[in-house]
Amino acid sequence: MIRIGIPRALLYYQYYPMWQVFFEELGAEVVVSPPTTQAILSEGSSRVVAETCLPAKVFLGHVLSLVDKCDYIFIPAIRSVKSRAYNCSKLLGLPDMTRAVIPESPPILDIDIDVNKGKHVLYRAIYKLGRRFTWNPFKVRRASIAAGQAHLDYRRLMCSHGLTPPQAIERISGRPEVKPGTHSDCPMPTRATIAIIGHPYLIYDEHINYRLIYRLKQAQNRVLTPEMLTAEEVESATAKLLGRAYWTYEEEVVGAGEHYLENGADGVIGIMTFGCGPDSLMMDIVQRRARTMSTPFMGLTLDEHTAEAGIVTRLEAFLDMIYRKKKRRVAVCV
Amino acid sequence: MGNTYIPFKALFKRLNVDFVLPPVNNQRTLSLGVRYSPVGLCIPFKLTLGNLIEAAEMGADTLLMAGGYGICRLGNYAQTQEQILHDLGYKVEVVQVNVSEQKLSGLLKMIKRLSNNASWARIISAFRIGLTKLNALDRIERAVQKIRAVELVKGTANKLYAKAVKAIDEADDYSTLKKVQRDYINQLNQVPKNPQAQPLIVGITGEFYVLLEPFSNLDVESELGKLGVEVRRRLFVSEWTKFSLFLNSLGISETARIHKAALPYLKRDVGGDGWESVGEKVLHAKEYDGFIHLAPFTCMPEIVAQNIMSSTKENIPVLTILCDEQVTKTGMLTRLEAFVDLLERKRRAGNNNRH
Repeated sequence: MIRIGIPRALLYYQYYPMWQVFFEELGAEVVVSPPTTQAILSEGSSRVVAETCLPAKVFLGHVLSLVDKCDYIFIPAIRSVKSRAYNCSKLLGLPDMTRAVIPESPPILDIDIDVNKGKHVLYRAIYKLGRRFTWNPFKVRRASIAAGQAHLDYRRLMCSHGLTPPQAIERISGRPEVKPGTHSDCPMPTRATIAIIGHPYLIYDEHINYRLIYRLKQAQNRVLTPEMLTAEEVESATAKLLGRAYWTYEEEVVGAGEHYLENGADGVIGIMTFGCGPDSLMMDIVQRRARTMSTPFMGLTLDEHTAEAGIVTRLEAFLDMIYRKKKRRVAVCV
Repeated sequence: MGNTYIPFKALFKRLNVDFVLPPVNNQRTLSLGVRYSPVGLCIPFKLTLGNLIEAAEMGADTLLMAGGYGICRLGNYAQTQEQILHDLGYKVEVVQVNVSEQKLSGLLKMIKRLSNNASWARIISAFRIGLTKLNALDRIERAVQKIRAVELVKGTANKLYAKAVKAIDEADDYSTLKKVQRDYINQLNQVPKNPQAQPLIVGITGEFYVLLEPFSNLDVESELGKLGVEVRRRLFVSEWTKFSLFLNSLGISETARIHKAALPYLKRDVGGDGWESVGEKVLHAKEYDGFIHLAPFTCMPEIVAQNIMSSTKENIPVLTILCDEQVTKTGMLTRLEAFVDLLERKRRAGNNNRH
């Protein structure tokens, strides 16, 4: 059986169930890299120029950890999944960059996804990918329909059941993914509602964000994340703030940010990484919006030098500020 | 950016558009840009924001800024900059000059709007003089690049260049322009040269803005000239205009060859000039002695290019210089000198092997 490696990084959090179903329908076995560790991060960083962003380094680390465990590695090059949206260069060039810096990697399966070029080009790209496994176009078609369905189920699990991507993936694949207790809701009274906005590969990679969600929940706060919103909610909020969205994966920042600011989050935490192109513009827009609404906003910029103590200190200060603000508001009302 | 203001100036003058020209990039422009930009943005954003602020200070109410879908972050800049200017209290409109789609027609339409509906004949004639100036400027610059490396008295070519730019700016009809161009090219050719010089040839590639705006790259080309290096650059605004406004629509593309060279290493467009950077290195690896790769700090496409460039089979020394507000002249000079030393030694070693 052919083994396909999928790195647990970047778009994994958005699309893994879809990819898994697609490849398994075509008779392949899917191998996922383990959760991020310091070793994975360091290995990845050692391969690229220093300026490359943290998520890309993490991604390459995951590829390295898969090197002798699979026959192919699947890395899509996604240009747009919506009409007239555009994507970050690093995601576009990901397959090529991986090939260049990890020469020992197994052959890379890449697929160009650009809906601007029309349905036909997209179908052909999917077919070309499927051809590696079967000559039968109907089989590829069946696999992609099943994959599409899996994606919808995955989205629904997250929206309506309020699961985080790792939890949803765990439920779908029946594999224990998350350490028990890390994401579990706390039953205590909530002191404040905090929205976290940012890409899923930052919010749910506990190694690079130093268990941010866990820390917030431990301090008895309710945590809101972009995946809890429906696509329509995010889209309408994005349209309100930006008009037409320019980026493919920035709705989870702008749309979610705007939605939570409007719907009464006590504070918003924006997570981004140093040197992120799209985020550098979009986070700024959300931050400006938060300022005009006088909602507390904290921008956390992560890189491989980020230290746990630094994050904890800033988080504590931010939470203290919110609690005090809430208390004052209550006092004024009385 | 660079001398692109000259053709635009000619264009608007002919159309009687009331325009202000912000000062050429200087330390104040940069400081203004840096102060009001989000931190993670690149130097082209910061400098253009500085330009826009300075223009707004001078009373402009409509500002021109390049943009368009699918380039890199640039497509988003005009919108963000307008927001920043509004927050600063300037009541301005930032008009996006679309450089990625509907290029020629979009540009002409925009000019029509700005010129209060001047007749098409006048617009075309103004457009033509702008283009002629652009071409003249770039021809002279090409000559300057060659002379800088071999001139006996360093700085002669640069002085002539500055004079030529001024003369072109002042020229107002085609015959004067032609004469100015011929005169200065002749003068440049007569600059006393070092007869023994066999200058190293260094290709210079990278991101559009930092490549063409000497202020942002600390005038790297002149510095290389002082070190006796001949610079080869593909990107000129006139070339870009020629292809992207006219020839591309006829299916002629200057970059097809470069993209083809890059294919084994980079299969797809990653935005900006990333694809071209990789392609040029591969294409010219045998001809040139080395490459200087210029990129703004945090530039997304060039980071991808930089990662890929170091692994190509076609091997040639590449020095990547990241430009931002922190780069200093001394730091850059030291790196350039070391790089040129390395290239010289490599060339000498190559010659010895051949004997």
